[in-house]
Amino acid sequence: MEILSVLFILAGLFFLIVAAIGVIRLPDVFSRAHAVSLTDSLGAFLMLVGLALHEGLSKNNLKIIAVLALLYIQNPVITHATIRAALRAGLKPWRREPS
Amino acid sequence: MRPVSSEFLVLKATALFVLWVLLSGSFDWIHLVLGGVLSFTVAWINSGHSPFVPKFRLWGNILLYLPWLFLKIVQASLHMSKLILNPALPIDPRLIRVETKLGRRAAVVLLGNSITLTPGTITAEIDHDIVPEGLAIAPDPDALLVHAIDETLARDVTTGTLEAKIAEVFKNEERRW
Repeated sequence: MEILSVLFILAGLFFLIVAAIGVIRLPDVFSRAHAVSLTDSLGAFLMLVGLALHEGLSKNNLKIIAVLALLYIQNPVITHATIRAALRAGLKPWRREPS
Repeated sequence: MRPVSSEFLVLKATALFVLWVLLSGSFDWIHLVLGGVLSFTVAWINSGHSPFVPKFRLWGNILLYLPWLFLKIVQASLHMSKLILNPALPIDPRLIRVETKLGRRAAVVLLGNSITLTPGTITAEIDHDIVPEGLAIAPDPDALLVHAIDETLARDVTTGTLEAKIAEVFKNEERRW
C-alpha cells in the first residue's frame, strides 16, 4: 500500500513539474492557462489519491475527497474568469506564424 | 421567490449535520449539539433565497457522467504533457466557436465547465455577445468561445461528443428556461 501511494504521489509530481515547465515555455497567458489546468486535473488528483492511500481507512480521507471535489468545481471557474478577463481586456492570443 | 417546504429544510439540515459529524469525527455532546444547531441555522438561512429542490435523478446522471469526463481529462492531460515536453513546442493555439443546441442554462454551464476542466481547452465566453475588437470571430449568442492549444484538442470539443453526453444527462429533466 505504501509503495502504491508513493507511486501515485510521484506520478502527481511528474504532472506538476510538467505544468511548471509549461508555464515557463508557453508564449502567452492563454496557453499558459492550459498548462496550469494540467496541475489541477491530474497533478493534484494523483497527489491526493496517493495521500488517501497513505492514510488508509480514516476520516481524513473524507476531507481529501472534499478537497478534490472543491478543486474540480473551483478550478474551471477560476480559469474561465481569468481567460475571459484577459480576452475582454484586449489581450490577443498568440498565433503561430503561417510558415 | 418560490416557497421552500419544510421537508427540504430538514433534508438540508440533515445533510449538513452528517457532513459535520463526518468531518469533525468527535461524538461528544458539545460537538453534536453545536453541529446540530449550526446545520439547522445554515439550512434555515439558506431556505429563503434559493429555490432549492433536490433532483436526485439529475445528480445521479451527473455522477455517471463524471467517470467518462475523467477519462477524457486523462487523455487530454497526456497529450498536453507531450506538447509541453516536445523540444519543438508544436502548439498551434486558436480561438474556436463551439455551437451548442443545449439551450438550458445549467447544461451549458456543465458543458463550459467540462471544456475548461479538460487541459488544452478553455471556455473563454459562454454565449459571447461581446467579442473584443480585432478578433476575427463574430459575436454569436448560441456558441461558446473556446481557446484551444492545438488542432487535436480543438477537434475533441467541436465534434459534439461532449455535447451529446451532456444532452443525455439532462434528457429527463423538464425544461424550465
